[in-house]
Amino acid sequence: MSAWAARRGAAIAFAALALGAASVAGADREAGRRKAEVCAACHGPAGNSVDPAVPSIAGQPAQFVSTELFLFREGNRKDPRMSPIAAGLSNGDLNDLAAYFAAEKPAPPKHGSAPENAAAGPALARKFNCVQCHGPELLGQQHIPRLAGQQPDYLLAQLRGFKAGTRADIDGNMTSAAHALSDQDIQVLADYLAGLNAGK
Amino acid sequence: MRVAAVAAAVMAVFTVAQAQGQPAAAPPSWQQGKPPAMGESTLHPFAPNLTGRAAKELPTDKLRVPAGFKVEVWAEGIPEARSLARGEKGTVFVSNRLSKNVYAVVDRGATREVKTVLTGLNAPNGIAFSRGTLYVAERDKITRYDGIEARLDNPGEGKLVVDGLDPSQQPGHFWKYLAMGPDGKLYFNIGAPGNIVMPSYMQASIMRVDPGKGVLENVALGVRNSVGFDWNPRTKELWFTNHGRDWLGDDSPNDTLHRVASKGAHFGYPFCHQGDTPDPEYGKHRSCSEFAPPALKLGAHIAPLGMKFYTGKMFPPEYRNNIFIAMHGSWNRSTKQGYNVTRVVVNDKGKVVKSAPFLTGFLQNERGDPPMWGRPVDVLVMRDGALLVSDDYNGILYRVSYAKR
Repeated sequence: MSAWAARRGAAIAFAALALGAASVAGADREAGRRKAEVCAACHGPAGNSVDPAVPSIAGQPAQFVSTELFLFREGNRKDPRMSPIAAGLSNGDLNDLAAYFAAEKPAPPKHGSAPENAAAGPALARKFNCVQCHGPELLGQQHIPRLAGQQPDYLLAQLRGFKAGTRADIDGNMTSAAHALSDQDIQVLADYLAGLNAGK
Repeated sequence: MRVAAVAAAVMAVFTVAQAQGQPAAAPPSWQQGKPPAMGESTLHPFAPNLTGRAAKELPTDKLRVPAGFKVEVWAEGIPEARSLARGEKGTVFVSNRLSKNVYAVVDRGATREVKTVLTGLNAPNGIAFSRGTLYVAERDKITRYDGIEARLDNPGEGKLVVDGLDPSQQPGHFWKYLAMGPDGKLYFNIGAPGNIVMPSYMQASIMRVDPGKGVLENVALGVRNSVGFDWNPRTKELWFTNHGRDWLGDDSPNDTLHRVASKGAHFGYPFCHQGDTPDPEYGKHRSCSEFAPPALKLGAHIAPLGMKFYTGKMFPPEYRNNIFIAMHGSWNRSTKQGYNVTRVVVNDKGKVVKSAPFLTGFLQNERGDPPMWGRPVDVLVMRDGALLVSDDYNGILYRVSYAKR
């Protein structure tokens, strides 16, 4: 490219900027920390839940956190406590909260799996393809949550909800994956997963 | 993204199994058609960041275009930006697939503004603009919004053009691409209801409807899922991109580019893939010779989406009437490919001469998970001849322009 062309290119770039393609603020972890103060009442300190029915969100993949908040806000996923909280949040809020929770460290699980479930769990997690998306250590990735060390009653309720078709997911994959599970499988998996230490 | 789905056929098996008192064992949707040998494959579909990501957080400086061209961020804050359509007054309309909105990007004086103009829609992936009207194809219907550019803040409810376009009501390739043909009819796809299943008469097709009459016609059959088509400006023939099936290996079958030489032609699905590869199950007793072959094999799992013939005057003359295809990129392949905009050169007779990547740099690590930081979905030729490219992974539109040297 000649110097003339380079100058012309710069002029075009300047014109585009001058038109002010409104830029979007990036995810702000510190802003997320402030916005997350209300979350601790149910989700525990830094998103480490101590309630077996409430999920831990500390150390979850950022895209998973923003996606679930999005699904609550848009009404795909419904919960009497979460839906009204999510209703007033902007996309920027969701990205800030996701950045904050993703950077927090998951606490070691308080739950102890029954020995027979801990023994049977790994084979079930392979058989029903959990590890294929949630990862070999079940730590989650991208829009897919960490299952290791998640609260057991929450896991039970979600798997039963997916199987019943009442729990929304963005692409239908979990709904169809859960079709293959018996309720006995669900109980074994929930107990096994809740006892895995995500922090190790 | 080619998330295969629990298909009608699978659901039938599921129902029978239940009736016999056996435990239900439908495969997870995206694994339908996967052979036992690939049972523990860790390949999985990707999902867009539904809240969008800021351009400044992304390595947009990695984007590459040929010498003399320039690529820049044109608009952002359009979460899950999918299909593109251009209004007569300069509005750029942008659709959603998983989300529920249609957006309008408008230049007001010194600022470029993104407005949400339609909300609460059901997978409104398909949008087309013609003679003052925006047409929106949702999962099950097409609606028209007349005079929308004059009332972007209050476009109203819209009027129904045609409904009943979701025959299986199952997960599957239920989202639609929409384009206005030179004949004044609206063209759209109805995808196969799963990865590799026997479609119904309305599925795995491209259809058209006269918006004034609402009568449907078949245009192309045996099309697994087309999420991009346009008309050759020289021959007026319809060309379309098509997604091949999953789980036949890293290099098979190819996704394809097709030319519709005769209305109602059959392109092979589910019997024959890429014009020459019988399906291991559905192709056993069929021959590929009875189906229309592709104009070009594009690469396995590369996921071609929106396509446009380049009719602008900004790019060099050799680009005139070339095809630009947005490659969303592979997931069902151990080494990833695509994630670019590809240029296909077509000669005067409508034959493909060559193809090459044109806009690249979204793919970071072909063995990474995820392998990319952005995913092209659709392309649009602007009035000035620049090319807009949508990216649903981040909610960004890029502009490719050319400056004479």
